[in-house]
This record gives sequence, C-alpha cells and structure tokens, in this order.
Amino acid sequence: MKFTVPIGPQHPALKEPISLRMTLEGEVIRDADIRLGYNHRGLEKLAEEKTWLQNIYVTERICGICSHSHATCYTQGVEKLMEIEPPKRGIYLRFLVAELERVHSHLLWLGVAGHEAGFDTFFMYTWRDREVVMDILEMVSGNRVHYAINTLGGVRRDIDDLQKKKILDSLDFLRRRSEFYFKIGANEPSFVARIAGVGRLSKEDALALCAVGPTARASDISQDVRKDDPYGMYAEVPFEVATATSCDVLGRVVVRVKELMQSYNIIEFLLKNLPDGPVAVRAPRRAKPNEVVSRYEAPRGENIHYIKSNGTDKPERLKVRAPTLANYPATVVMLRNGFIADIPLIFAAIDPCICCAERAVVLVDGRSGEEKIVLMSELRKQAHERWKKAPLKKDAVWPF
Amino acid sequence: MRIAAFLPEILRHLFKKPATVDYPFQKLEVPKDFRGTPFLHPELCIVCRACVRDCPAEAIDILTVNEADKKFKMVIHNDRCIHCAQCVESCPTAPKALEMDHLFEIAAFSRWDLKKEWEYVKAQVKPKAAAGTPSAEAKS
Ligand code: SF4
Ligand code: SF4
Repeated sequence: MKFTVPIGPQHPALKEPISLRMTLEGEVIRDADIRLGYNHRGLEKLAEEKTWLQNIYVTERICGICSHSHATCYTQGVEKLMEIEPPKRGIYLRFLVAELERVHSHLLWLGVAGHEAGFDTFFMYTWRDREVVMDILEMVSGNRVHYAINTLGGVRRDIDDLQKKKILDSLDFLRRRSEFYFKIGANEPSFVARIAGVGRLSKEDALALCAVGPTARASDISQDVRKDDPYGMYAEVPFEVATATSCDVLGRVVVRVKELMQSYNIIEFLLKNLPDGPVAVRAPRRAKPNEVVSRYEAPRGENIHYIKSNGTDKPERLKVRAPTLANYPATVVMLRNGFIADIPLIFAAIDPCICCAERAVVLVDGRSGEEKIVLMSELRKQAHERWKKAPLKKDAVWPF
Repeated sequence: MRIAAFLPEILRHLFKKPATVDYPFQKLEVPKDFRGTPFLHPELCIVCRACVRDCPAEAIDILTVNEADKKFKMVIHNDRCIHCAQCVESCPTAPKALEMDHLFEIAAFSRWDLKKEWEYVKAQVKPKAAAGTPSAEAKS
C-alpha cells in the first residue's frame, strides 16, 4: 500500500483539473492515487506583486464557490498585521455574507450529491432554491459570485431595513425547504440505501489524516474553527457544531443539512442583533514587518492563510491552504476497497473545488495492468447501472 | 419509511410556472446596487490617479494628451476589468467621477470593442471635493 499526495509548491487546492489513479481488482478499488497540479495559476506569486488592497480581489478569485472565504481569511490576517479593528457592524455584515455563502455552497453540494446518487429531481429542486440565496447575495453585495464586500478595516456596503426584511422573509422559505429535504432523506429508502455505508472513513483515520470540515464532522469529530478558535463575532453567536456518527456519505449529507439549519439561525441572530454604527474604518497602506496565520471555517472546512509583511504596501509572502487539499489524503482511504461505481459519489462527498473541471479517470486493471481512460459521465452511467441491479439495503436507515 | 415520498412534490410542480425566465425575450431585473461596468463623468475627474493605483486588474490608464492645456485621456479596458468597483470607491471626488452602470450583457466580438475612452480637460480641484476622504475630513 503506497500512495503519494504531492502537496504542490504553490496553491494546489484551486478549481483545477485533477487526475485520480485507481488500481482495481474486478470492481473493487485496491489503491488510489490523486495527481494534482494541472491548474497552477501562480496566484500566490501574483499576490506579491499587488498591494494589500488589490490582493483582496486576487484572493477572492482563488475559488468561485467559496470566494468570500478566501477573501475574509486574507482580510482578517491583514487587519491583524495592520493592527486595525473593524467596527462591530462591519464584522456582523462580513459574517452575514459568510453564512449566506455557506448556505449557497451546501445547497449546491446537496444537489450534486443527489445528482451523483442518481436522484436528479433532488438536484433540480435544491438548485432552484439556491437561487434564492444567490439573489440575496446579489442584492447585498452587487454580484452573485464575487461579492467583493470585504475591504481592509470592514465591509464596503451597508444594508438597509428593506434588505434586512427581505433576507428574513427568504430565510423562512429556505428553512421550510431544507426541512422538507431532511424529511425526504428520511423517507426515501432508495436514496438512503445508495449513500449509506459508502466511502467509509473511521474516526481514527479522519483524525490521523487531518480531515477537515464536514468530512471530519461526519466521522464524529466535533471540529469547527468557529467554535474552537472563534474569529469575528462567532464567540457571541449561539450555534452548535453539527456532527454525525455514521462515517459515510450519508453522514456527510446529514452534517450538511444540519449545518444549513445552524446557518439560518446564525443569519437570523446576526440580522436581529445588528449593531449600529459605521461599517469600516480607514486602513493604512503599509503593514509593519510581521507574519500572521489566519484561520477560517469555509463551507468545505478549515481554510488557512499565512501572510508575511515586510513594511511595504505589498505582502512578502502569501500561502493558502484550502480545505479540499486537507481532505485528499482522507479521500484515498475512503476510496480504497470501495467500488468503481462509488468513485463519483465519494469524491463529490468531500465537496472538492475541482470536480467540475475533472472529467477523466484512469482505470488500471489490477490483474492485467491495462489502463483505460473513461469519462466521468460514462462512470456515472456505469454506477447507475450497477445500483439498479443491486438489492436494496433493507437495514439502512436515516439516523433520526 | 415510504416509497416515492417525493412524488406529491413532483406532481405539484406540474401545475407551477417554470422557475427560469424566457431569456433573451424576457430579462431579469438586477438590484439597484448591481456592479456593472465602470464609466467616467469626464467633467468631474481631477486626475488624481487613485483609480489607476487601486485597480486590481490594471484596467484603467490615464494618458496625458497635452500637459499645457491640462488635457487627459482615460481608457478603461473592459476586457481586463473584473467589475469590483474598487475604482469607484477610491475616487475621492464628490460626486464621484467614476460610477458603475447596470449593464450585464457586455459581450463583444473583439476585445478592442470593449475599450472605452474619454478625452477631457482636468477638473478644478474644489477644496471641499478634494477633502472627500474620511481621514482628511476628520483632520480639518
Ligand atoms: S471595476 Fe475594478 S477592475 Fe474594473 S476598472 Fe474598476 S477597479 Fe479596475
Ligand atoms: S480617482 Fe476619480 S478623480 Fe481620480 S483620476 Fe480616477 S476618476 Fe479621476
């Protein structure tokens, strides 16, 4: 058993094409190899060429789905370097957007999980409901994907009472829908049977391989940066860390639906307790020589930015560790001894930022050593075929 | 547990309108703070170059046409612009010389078609307008 996960010299966990190498015996995966580094964009180097302010927009473009996570992680760090404290209203608004982003990301993921399990109706419905969050984000920030709401020393835009009311109204709708999806999960035996027991990652493995975010929480590890090392105003916000004990894809679905509910509560709390006052303070253009590590709980897990300043208006070094990268070693364990049919499901379950870019999987026949390249769509078809023939798991139950 | 728990929901949707709009015949309305494309009010620009300095995409150029007449030319390269509106935020004049419009259908056949140019005479720095930044105001 040998595998190498090349942790790239720069920032490997972007929306990048990725190659999975599976060694098979029949339909069973004996070994998995993940190759990275196909989409190196040189963003960390670019960040050294731009000013502190311009870099907010650079880090925001590391990822499309968790754009706010990267920008906030960076901004937080730089604010520490510059020794400025954003006003309270600014902090509340910043993390209001952060929680809205978590909602949109988890709804997106639920849809993808449904799609990979062959439940496309579910996919359509969750993505339609996700549009509600996207519209809120567009209304609050001016854009659907790159919100650009952060600035050094606070946020760039304030919200008014009308917008506040609109968000609260939409929240009711989203809550209703999420509860409905939770019920569907509990009542749809074929869906539960498809995802239960797939991609097992024991608690010990998850700990040993440093899994983060919902992947770790589904293996019964109560780990959340918002709770363990509270940043922003999370120390004052009441919320629970969602965990599941089943250690499989089912657990990852449950964790994410529970997190949706927690996020709705956090959003409601933030809006109802929104302090008055300014949303930003003025930031200096330079930062004293220092270094800082900034942690942030992105929808996919812990996001880390290391920033080093040298007294000029540009960073000396910026290092990004995105959560998907931390989850790759665990993915290899999840894949091992699973079926080929489960590859898309298991891989999608860590919510990789690159899944949409990746379409080819190399299958190596364990007995003959023969290699062939198949398309992700072909693989999905094979998966559906296989599960149509498989007997229904009678004992698989929704854990509530 | 029951089989086909989703069925009532699916049947209900048979009688609903589609969730999508009939683009391009029908267009969605964008919110009032939507960040479209930046444009210049040439009569307000004091050529302080704050927008050039802060634009993360290096999409703004200010060229000197004639130093003596204080004539300048601003070029916004919309093929590079990432629509972040930082230029609007950095612009110190009041009212702002740069503003964002609401257009979202800005595709073109060539990137040169996306270039926007304004040739203008530098506006007089009004003492009040020049002190538009918060810190300057606080000091005075
Ligand atoms: S909107 Fe952003 S990218 Fe575009 S010109 Fe202004 S500062 Fe540059
Ligand atoms: S920041 Fe405003 S005033 Fe200054 S050069 Fe740009 S458009 Fe003109």
